[in-house]
Amino acid sequence: MKISDCLKIVMTVSFMAFSLSSFAESVSDSNPPLMEVACRYEMKVTRITKPKSSITNAWFFWRTPNIIQTQDADGDHGEIWERTANGSIQYRKLYHTDKTAVEYMPTDMPTNNMSFDWFKLSGMMSKEELNTLKMIKIKRVLGRSAELRKGEINGQAVEVLWLPNENLSANIIKKDKINRMELRLIEITPLSLAVKQPIAIGDINNYRQIDAADFGDMENDPFVKKLMSAEGHHHH
Amino acid sequence: MQLFKKLNLIATSSILTIGIAHAAEPTPADWFNAGHQTVVNAKHLSRNNGHAKNVILFIGDGMGISTITASRIYDGQTKGGHGEENSLSFEKLPYLALSKTYSVDQQTPDSAPTMTAMVTGVKTIGDSLSVNQYVAHSEKDAKVIDANKLSTILEQAKQHGLSAGIVSTARITHATPAATYAHTANRDWEGDSDKLAGATVPDIASQLVDFNVNGGINVALGGGRTRFIPNTVTDPEYGVAGKRKDGRNLTVDWTTKHTNAHYVWDQAGFDAIDPNTTDHLLGLFEPSHVHYEADRVAHDKSGEPSLTQMTTKAISILKKNDNGYFLMVEGGRIDHAHHSGNAYRALTETQQFAAAVKAAIDATDPEETLIIVTADHSHVFTIGGYPQRGNPILGLTQGVGATKPDLDMLGLPYTTLNYANGTGYTGASNAQPEGSKTFSFPATAAWASGSEGHNPTSFSPATGRPTLDSAKVEDANYLQEAIIPLSSETHAAEDVAIFAGGPKAHLFHGIVEQNVIYHVMADALGFNDEEHSESDKD
Repeated sequence: MKISDCLKIVMTVSFMAFSLSSFAESVSDSNPPLMEVACRYEMKVTRITKPKSSITNAWFFWRTPNIIQTQDADGDHGEIWERTANGSIQYRKLYHTDKTAVEYMPTDMPTNNMSFDWFKLSGMMSKEELNTLKMIKIKRVLGRSAELRKGEINGQAVEVLWLPNENLSANIIKKDKINRMELRLIEITPLSLAVKQPIAIGDINNYRQIDAADFGDMENDPFVKKLMSAEGHHHH
Repeated sequence: MQLFKKLNLIATSSILTIGIAHAAEPTPADWFNAGHQTVVNAKHLSRNNGHAKNVILFIGDGMGISTITASRIYDGQTKGGHGEENSLSFEKLPYLALSKTYSVDQQTPDSAPTMTAMVTGVKTIGDSLSVNQYVAHSEKDAKVIDANKLSTILEQAKQHGLSAGIVSTARITHATPAATYAHTANRDWEGDSDKLAGATVPDIASQLVDFNVNGGINVALGGGRTRFIPNTVTDPEYGVAGKRKDGRNLTVDWTTKHTNAHYVWDQAGFDAIDPNTTDHLLGLFEPSHVHYEADRVAHDKSGEPSLTQMTTKAISILKKNDNGYFLMVEGGRIDHAHHSGNAYRALTETQQFAAAVKAAIDATDPEETLIIVTADHSHVFTIGGYPQRGNPILGLTQGVGATKPDLDMLGLPYTTLNYANGTGYTGASNAQPEGSKTFSFPATAAWASGSEGHNPTSFSPATGRPTLDSAKVEDANYLQEAIIPLSSETHAAEDVAIFAGGPKAHLFHGIVEQNVIYHVMADALGFNDEEHSESDKD
């Protein structure tokens, strides 16, 4: 297996680890509404034994009380989580160039032991994880107050710079024997002032919507073909 | 003496079918007598040449013969037997043929042309629903579609005054159910928002509700709510928005258009339906496909009926028509489980499908109801190695007399069930690390986005094989190993089985083209009498 392939997997998986959780607690009604923010992050994944082989990836993060949207720096791929009035969460992968959204239906999430923790989605750390980490000191990050917390989660050494006023992770460093992953906040502004805005929900709803469960029956679909061949051919 | 002899043979036969863990191990005489009894029974089979009042067509989507065999064993093992001697309900139907599933342009077909063949009598091209092969893929022009549409057995049933119903665990607009009532050259145009710009052919959901032959479709039960409600209305169970852009709420249209009509979306609503006072029932129990049977009770938020419950309710409504009925029932998620590379869910879906067939057999008179059970296509699902009898079908292969699992030439154990391709390839994917893959990625590791199991978009070459143990491979979420890494396991091209019982069921014999299924149904229902009465006399 190539190192770049390995890092690619780690990158994908670790991004989701930062942003998502399974077996998560349900969202408490007592949580205050989260501040609407627009952020730019950079993630760097390094294989410990090959420090020069690191991969860096930048992405955007937009948060409103009930919608979280991300987008790769190239603007082509993104993800969106929408919290509905009854507490369900709709999750879609976005392919902006193809104006296509791939839906993961609520039906299938519990099947796969998936439940979304809105707090963790919104801040990239769950309350439980934060409580596991020891408060070291207060610092400043991009002009904002931040708590430096350290500890171990799931066998990984974890270091977090947490913005308590924004309920948001600024920096996260996770390290084990194989990889070091670092997420770093590059820019944060109130959403209303952000130069780069998320794709409007109305526009996304006008995309072609595909149920992920149908991929197996869409072998002749040009988008599905393109998606699979584009990524699948990396190794040929 | 004769009666005693008969009873003795029945008892012997039972020993072989009730599960050996619960009975004495058959003796050589038992095997012989049971085999003989099968021949005796065959001799007493009498052809039912009468017209069928009712036809029920069961489709196990993707239920190839290996799936039937493995499900039979799994079902038998869950009942405490060895499994191999078990029979699924439909395996007891008296007549059998094999069906050639290729389409006009595909060696290995998809569900659209295969179902079109079964319900219209005509093979067509991939992705096309009940239109002939001369229509280009994704043809937008409704006039072209109309000029080339193929009449379906459901439409003909309505024209002859019968009632008609469709039941599925997939979206009710998905290819298999859709082919019975819709005409379009793109199976994915399920809602108006799915169509290409400028397409004048109606979307599939609206074709279901606007179906106008003799009072419309009587029963439609399955999934797929979002294609029926406008984007200004939210889903009652999950709160997600509908997908229709034309503003139509087809669930409302259903109840306003039909008499004695109801729309239900959860178990409570379904249970409240009185078949005696309901003539038109639309039940849409999920925004997309309904839950896998393995997950249905544990995970469904509002509750939803099983395939068996839907089938029973449909029959109760349809049978009120003295002229009879046509009913199509699809086990739609056998196919999805296989695409995900997860044998456990494919087998448990098939088990539920067999239960639905049994419910239909129990609820109907074989003298007047033709029941057909078949598949649209197969999957690349294999049963291999030399496991001993009674070896757990989901388990590691362990040979006769062995105390440990058999080993491959790398010195590693392997499973009896595998896939020739798909998501269970053991090289690292972009979603899961090297080694065995799981339908549900472990929570303790980083969470891989996506559902429907493992949805990779890339793989790295595997280095050797993983070390397997029984606990891992018998877990419900284990993905059996696949040789060829693909983002989704594929259909397979080999023939599928047709099981049949009831009037004209004997017309199924040998290896036939898939479109023959329509012709048997039409013949049984007497639809061909007008055109072919002379040839029938020959």
